[in-house]
Amino acid sequence: MLGRGILKLEVINLSKSFKDNEVLKNIDFTFESGKIYGLIGRNGVGKTTFFNSLNEDIDIDSGAFYLEDSYGRNRLNTNDIGYVVSTPVVPEFLTTREFLTFFLEINHLDVDVDYYFDLVKIDKKDQDKLLRDFSHGMKNKMQILINIISNPKVILMDEPLTSLDIVVQEDMKRLLKSLKKDHIIIFSTHILELAMDLCDEIVILNKKKLESVPKDNLNTKKYKDKIIKALKGEEDV
Amino acid sequence: MFNTLIMSLKIDYTYSINAFIYNLRRLPILKDLITEDIYKSKNLKRFISIISIIYSCLKTIFFHLLYFFLIYFLASIINKTNISKSFIHIYFIFSIIGFFINNNLLNTSKKKYFSIVLFNMNAKKFMESSLFYNLFRYLILNILSFMVISYFIDIPFIIIIYLLLIPFFLRIVGEALNILFYKKYSYVWINNYYLYFSILISLLVVSFLPFKDIFVSRSILFIFLIGGIILSLISLTYLLRVKDYKIMFKKLNTKNAVLSKDNSYNRQKMVEVKKKDIKIDSRKLKNKKGYDLFNTIFFERHKEILMRSSKKYSLVLMGIYIILLILGRKVNILNNLGAFIILMYFINRGAIVTQAMFFNCDHAMLRYNFYRERSVLLNLFKKRLTTLIRVNLLPALVIILGNSLLLLVNGNNNIFIYLMLGLYIISLSIFFSIHYLVIYYLLQPFDSSMQIRKISYSIVSILTYVACYFLIDVNLNYLYFSLFSIIFTIVYSVISLYLVYRFSPETFKIN
Repeated sequence: MLGRGILKLEVINLSKSFKDNEVLKNIDFTFESGKIYGLIGRNGVGKTTFFNSLNEDIDIDSGAFYLEDSYGRNRLNTNDIGYVVSTPVVPEFLTTREFLTFFLEINHLDVDVDYYFDLVKIDKKDQDKLLRDFSHGMKNKMQILINIISNPKVILMDEPLTSLDIVVQEDMKRLLKSLKKDHIIIFSTHILELAMDLCDEIVILNKKKLESVPKDNLNTKKYKDKIIKALKGEEDV
Repeated sequence: MFNTLIMSLKIDYTYSINAFIYNLRRLPILKDLITEDIYKSKNLKRFISIISIIYSCLKTIFFHLLYFFLIYFLASIINKTNISKSFIHIYFIFSIIGFFINNNLLNTSKKKYFSIVLFNMNAKKFMESSLFYNLFRYLILNILSFMVISYFIDIPFIIIIYLLLIPFFLRIVGEALNILFYKKYSYVWINNYYLYFSILISLLVVSFLPFKDIFVSRSILFIFLIGGIILSLISLTYLLRVKDYKIMFKKLNTKNAVLSKDNSYNRQKMVEVKKKDIKIDSRKLKNKKGYDLFNTIFFERHKEILMRSSKKYSLVLMGIYIILLILGRKVNILNNLGAFIILMYFINRGAIVTQAMFFNCDHAMLRYNFYRERSVLLNLFKKRLTTLIRVNLLPALVIILGNSLLLLVNGNNNIFIYLMLGLYIISLSIFFSIHYLVIYYLLQPFDSSMQIRKISYSIVSILTYVACYFLIDVNLNYLYFSLFSIIFTIVYSVISLYLVYRFSPETFKIN
């Protein structure tokens, strides 16, 4: 990972419609490493569609994605992306330990499972429990963990922290901040405070386009008002 | 590839062993014997693993043999004098059907989602390992099954070799064609129902040719074998050359596609409020207040799965009775009264409506204290019961009318029989309506994602079905049937309603 320089993810002319419903239209945007991007948009505006398009989970109508580092510029490859989905689906009948062990073995990572249990604070009593019996938050924690372990260049997170308890949320925030130097992290959320607290740049998905909302020299209150106005479509950013 | 296969099998087995233990732990006595620590205890888990592996091997062999015996059974029906030739013919045509419909590589599965998307396995190696594993597993199962079936029918050795190898090679070709089709048209061809059913039906027709003494010849088998070998070599080269398996697997095994394989997810989808039911005719709500209004809104919002489907059932039943009436004298319903029990079981909407009640109403409402109050709970139970009985009575009335007409056509003039049969059907209909609502209130088995959490509910449901099934063949006088069902319904209602009255405030809650 070291020595890759600043990473850039370029989205060029992305459009996607579902039948007659055009969700994303000619989007051009560049994301960079060193920043955590907060992707905000109203319900149903297409945040997940945007993520799914990047992750090649759906066919897009037009557009291309490039990843650039000091070695050159290449088309974004699906292996470059780690995608944390909003409602995790995990193998219900594996225990936490089995799940992590298999993951490490498959990805040829020679690290002790207990190291990761400590990292995300999974209690002893939960280590040999079936994932089926876990809460949504715990399943999400496992999902975030494996996406961090696999160390992809781009990390997409769809509403990831809301289901976690406050202590884990803080740990995760710290972890994400420590990762941002070498990764491009795009983070979608409905909680404005969370986005403002964690993210370095707020990006709004509105009217089928992505727009960055620069903080300029505004104080928190004024910045918040600006974001809300932009979300309502009352202000050009 | 070999490592991927081992890994994949290891995950599979761990998964199914844990699932096996989980289900064991749901059984009454074993629940206390096996603690949750079992998942980490090595020795006990190893012991259960062996049992679980033996069980799954036997199950696979059993179902494969069942397939062979099914063909044997079909062959003996279609052409009694030439069972062996018919068997060869049907088996061969079924292999061609398999060539079209078995697409292991492109079907959606949880396993693929976990392996490729979550665990980040190398998709190409995963493809290779599952292709070869499935092929050889299939070949071994076929060899075993031919060894068994040869005890029953005489098939020449060379033909057995043909029949073993043709489907083996055809499967490779089928997988390659599926991928080729998908890459060209961006969908799996099986999802084109028109194409799928036309091929399936025409091949099924061909498989019945032995009925006219037409059998597949040895030379056709030979041509298919040689063709299969050549085409499978080309296919294999193609399959190994394709690069973008990861994207293909990801697009086909999305989270939602995988979720739709879940029973609980399908249960949720089934009881979802349909768009056209969102708007309610205001006249229906006029003069209604409180829980009466609440209950009316609920049933109006579920018109599609309740009233409309009950009307649809009634129409289908009407159609069946019209056909029976045309057949006239041949049908004597008085000899088949037991069958009405399972019929009433199937047309009752109780199971669906209780699921809808939970998913779209109770699982949210039960969080409020006022909703759990005894008087509220029982008041709503009464209202729900009356509406449910009413919904289910419509098809019951069609059956009564149909039965009466059949009796009339058969020249039956005894008005008492008409009356008793009417009461018989009505009591059955009322019984099932009460039954589902009562077990829902007493056992409330669902959790918020519609998974059934209580095995007692599953047991009662299975027992209800088994009881109905065994009563099909019971042959009694109509009078006994009617009296028995009326008395049974009354006794059952009194007891169960008492139980609901007594216990439901404690049992009716969120799991």
